[in-house]
Amino acid sequence: MSERRVPLRVVVVGFGMVGARLVDELERRDPDGALDVTVLGAEEYEPYNRVLLSDVVAGRTEVAAIGMPLPAGRARVLRGVAAAGIDRAARVVLADDGTAHPYDRLVLATGSRARVPDLPGLEHLPAGVHALRTLDDAREIVAATLNAPRAVVVGGGVLGVEAALGLAARGLQVALVHGAATPMDRQLDAGAGQVLAAALEAAGVRVVAGARPAEVLVVGGRAVGVRLARGAEGPGEVLAAGLVVLACGTAPDVALAAAAGLTVDRGVVVGHDLASVDDPHVHAVGDCAQPPEGSRGLVAEGWDQARRLAERWATTPEPPAAHRVHLRGPWEGAGPSAAVRLGAVLATRTPTDRGVETRGTDVVKVKAGALSVVAMGACGAGRTPAPGERAVRLADPAAGRWVEAVVADGALVGATCVGDARVAADLTAAYTRRTPVPADPAFLLLTPVAPATAPATSPEHMPDDAVVCRCNGVTKHDIACAVDDGARDVPAVARATRATTGCGGCADAVGGLCGWLARSRAAEGETVAEPV
Amino acid sequence: MTATHCPYCALQCAMSLDGTPVAVTPRDFPTNRGGLCQKGWTSASVLRAADRLTVPLVRGADGELAPASWDDALDLVAGRLAAIAAESGPGAVAVFGGGGLTNEKAYALGKFARTVLCTPNIDYNGRFCMASAAAAANRSLGADRGLPFPLADLGGADAVLLLGSNVAETMPPSVQHLAGARAAGGLVVVDPRRSATARLTSPSADGAEQGVHLQPVPGTDLAVLLGLLHVVLAEGLADAAYVAERTTGADAVARSVAAWWPERVEAVSGVPAPELRRVARLLAAASPSRGGRGAYVLTGRGVEQSTQGTATVTAAINLALALGLVGRAGSGYGALTGQGNGQGGREHGQKADQLPGYRKIDDPAARAHVAAVWGVPPGSLPGPGLPAVALLRALGTPGGPRALLVHGSNVVVSAPDATAVRARLAALDLLVVCDVVPSETALLADVVLPVTQWAEEEGTMTSLEGRVIRRRKAVDAPGEARSELWVLAELARRLGSPVAFPTDPAAVFDELARASAGGVADYAGLSHARLDAHEAADGPGLHWPVPAAGPDGAAHPGTPRLFLDGFPTPGGRARMVPVDHVGPSDDLRPDAPLWLVTGRVLQHYQTGAQTHRVPELERAVPGPYVELHPLLGARLGTPDGARVRLTTARGTTTVAARWTDAIRPDTVFLPFHWSGEGSANLLTTDAVDPVSAMPEFKVCAVNVVPVPEEAA
Repeated sequence: MSERRVPLRVVVVGFGMVGARLVDELERRDPDGALDVTVLGAEEYEPYNRVLLSDVVAGRTEVAAIGMPLPAGRARVLRGVAAAGIDRAARVVLADDGTAHPYDRLVLATGSRARVPDLPGLEHLPAGVHALRTLDDAREIVAATLNAPRAVVVGGGVLGVEAALGLAARGLQVALVHGAATPMDRQLDAGAGQVLAAALEAAGVRVVAGARPAEVLVVGGRAVGVRLARGAEGPGEVLAAGLVVLACGTAPDVALAAAAGLTVDRGVVVGHDLASVDDPHVHAVGDCAQPPEGSRGLVAEGWDQARRLAERWATTPEPPAAHRVHLRGPWEGAGPSAAVRLGAVLATRTPTDRGVETRGTDVVKVKAGALSVVAMGACGAGRTPAPGERAVRLADPAAGRWVEAVVADGALVGATCVGDARVAADLTAAYTRRTPVPADPAFLLLTPVAPATAPATSPEHMPDDAVVCRCNGVTKHDIACAVDDGARDVPAVARATRATTGCGGCADAVGGLCGWLARSRAAEGETVAEPV
Repeated sequence: MTATHCPYCALQCAMSLDGTPVAVTPRDFPTNRGGLCQKGWTSASVLRAADRLTVPLVRGADGELAPASWDDALDLVAGRLAAIAAESGPGAVAVFGGGGLTNEKAYALGKFARTVLCTPNIDYNGRFCMASAAAAANRSLGADRGLPFPLADLGGADAVLLLGSNVAETMPPSVQHLAGARAAGGLVVVDPRRSATARLTSPSADGAEQGVHLQPVPGTDLAVLLGLLHVVLAEGLADAAYVAERTTGADAVARSVAAWWPERVEAVSGVPAPELRRVARLLAAASPSRGGRGAYVLTGRGVEQSTQGTATVTAAINLALALGLVGRAGSGYGALTGQGNGQGGREHGQKADQLPGYRKIDDPAARAHVAAVWGVPPGSLPGPGLPAVALLRALGTPGGPRALLVHGSNVVVSAPDATAVRARLAALDLLVVCDVVPSETALLADVVLPVTQWAEEEGTMTSLEGRVIRRRKAVDAPGEARSELWVLAELARRLGSPVAFPTDPAAVFDELARASAGGVADYAGLSHARLDAHEAADGPGLHWPVPAAGPDGAAHPGTPRLFLDGFPTPGGRARMVPVDHVGPSDDLRPDAPLWLVTGRVLQHYQTGAQTHRVPELERAVPGPYVELHPLLGARLGTPDGARVRLTTARGTTTVAARWTDAIRPDTVFLPFHWSGEGSANLLTTDAVDPVSAMPEFKVCAVNVVPVPEEAA
């Protein structure tokens, strides 16, 4: 231990949500300065919460409120400095400002870029057309809403749905163009998607499903609308819009890794240890990484990877001496094998001695204000039921509600919930923590905690053993006995039973009970008194 | 007729004792407004407990406790303590106090440990109650007075956010002070159970909204608080002027909660994002900067007895600071103190790191001041000792304490991981317990000393609102029971200490007042005589700090509301400190897939040493039980009323199941008032908060299985 006087040099490329989080996680676990951390961030900005950009567009969140924690410790943060190349043999990152940064461990957190469709009019983004990927994008979209009464959102995935609802909330006429038959088809099957589409329409978003944009119409360098591809029934419709938001997915930013000769598929191919399959000194996290279990592009996954990396380095500070053996098939090429992918899916759901390793990172929640749309695990139109799975469903489209729960081996393995925030929250808790599901999984479709019912106030309907005064444990029966013994008003009942003498909250109930009992006793008395 | 206060919780309801046998009647008083719960009404029964300790008991060669004279018992204790300290050093003798002791006793106990025993190892059961709230409030606000405002102030607010506190069950008369918030639709209760307090948020009989109940997954209250602050900042609802003028650290806190947007909080806590937004807006609308009548954020043990308890209270304070509530009349943050003298008990020196007046034991100026009052050299005072859980773990281990004096605490039932605690007590060379009744801990002792209780003694208590009140004697103690003030004086004398230990409570209080002078909790301007006169004149009450009279001779009026003119921090500003949610230490796993939460029932108090001896309370709630949801019961094959076995990594216990839909289906609730079979602390974890050393009583992972009929 005394030998390790020289700190381990860690270079992080990318200072976005995951890069910044990794620095934070490393600093938190390194009180003694065993790590020497350098971060290269291409943008001049402080790190911000990209997830909240759609909330900024919707006007739910102030731009000032999305800044993320700044490294408070020793990490060297170089803002506005981009990595230009990696010399893996020398273990040095070369930056665009001519500086060189030697590393013992390199972490790529370069993120992803918005995908811009290959369409006429989008060769160079004209004014009025924006992706929603950066703080600048969000600012420009918000500015554009002041002048553009109509908007088209291209792409009906999670971000497109959020953007469309956000723009509609700002009072714009919004059309959402989506290639599949229903929005969010990766997460929602047709039934749930239709309920979502109806909710979008109710919020003022026109859903143009099964349609593809053919061209962005540009006049004088400004977007004026979107022409849809020619349909079966005739030429493509033109959707007039001064604001076009592209929500067509993202592409991992892998140029640096590819140039350095690392295996790149959709992202930088890494193993379960997040190390490149080619170089144990190079790691990738977040959107630019392609781990064996796959990636859904959710920030929770990237943050979880940052945590795992930091935890591992805090406990085993030295990098592996030899290349870690990865589980790969004989046909291994650019991508991981089916076996690896299957194994990975199990791995993300397999509890370890420290709990489920990557819990809850595959829960998709749409940020849509009052509208609740949640999907997790086994869900979506593309889902193929596994043997032993049991799916139960509540379809209530008229009320805007659609819930499906998928159960296997006594645990919830997937769920879809549209239009019921309470049930969605319960399903998420059950899914992420693998708590036992009810014997009949259909109970998962409703909230298991009964809404509070107003207390029975009519005395005749109250059971005898009902506690009327909680503070003193006085039941209806106790009060009836007191009345029988001559108590006729609240003070008298209080003297006899102590009812109402704690918080006093039951005074009205005791008063009502007193009156009713006195009247009914009197009536009984009259009945008895009558000659037979 | 004797005017005094209830022997149980920190609400300290006022009551009169009269007649033979003694009977209780409630008195009007700002906290209880003439109300008493069932415990208070029946409290005189404890004076007549059939097994009341009336003579000292010493364990004989046959292993049985047998009556002894006071002289023999005290000679034995003093001789053994002296021998152990001589062999193993003064730290080999440890003291464990309690939050039910009067200020005078708590003060004398701390003084005895530091000047006679010269041991650093004194701590108390308040470590199980208030340590996290105290650590967070001291760090953020510069002072820890549970409620830094009179309780009755709550009544004027539009909103009260109550986290981890079930006041309708634990201090029922206090519910009266929530009426204003309920009428405004602004009572917010955060609890995994729909507790009696949570039900106060249900619409009223005429359909009016009274508030919101948030029902998070156990152990995720911190995430809920981070989400609430996120919404307040994201929607621009904070009191920017207040934050700029009266706080530091707001930027770092704002950045830290940027990561806790409502949908993420929903995924972690199970609280729907729309409900979080609704509550954040409700609190903001009630805050003074937005024209509301005021808002309060209050925490209780439910969120504090956690490995992230200090962080959770810090997050609650951050929220209150962002809304501009703290140090403003009609708004604020507070912690609801639990034990009768849980407030005073943590101010006067029975805490491992403290000296009287809420002074720090490692502060040279504090040591010099207190040493001068005690007439000892400052250098003779020991430094900080082990906090409660660490102290209990160290008992009878190599190098650890060999003798333990217990006062006003039933550790073998109240401490976490009870089996381990029992083993540690058994490893001691000497266990001395001062108690009123043969508690489970007393029954393990080598020497049991019978002491006075509540209506048999004079003294003061400091209630949950920092008000110093008088406890008065109504009856003589039975048999040979003596005050602990006398016991400590006698032991000091036998141990040859030159330090004076007065036995008159009024004299002890005067000394306490001098020792506290200039401290955070300054009692210098108080005396029994002044408190009596103030009460007789129907005064508004005296809340600390009450410094000594100024040069003009005018008595200080006390401080009902703290922080109005600034915070007792170096810069006079409150500190906002970023915190993050991690989760409970004992996480769910396949062989323990459910959450166990612990808590109280109205009819019992703490380990039940008092309430189990009151027939009326025992009839109402005769034994332990576990609450579980019908869906869980049906899945387990456990009908309502059947017996179930609960197993955690620490231990196992068997109790009756009670079905209720007021609890989450992933959670079971076990009240902790019992020892032996059904004892909650056989199951709880002794993992502690890294800042406050408070154990995580409230949440752990548990497995629940039905017990077969024949075995039941």
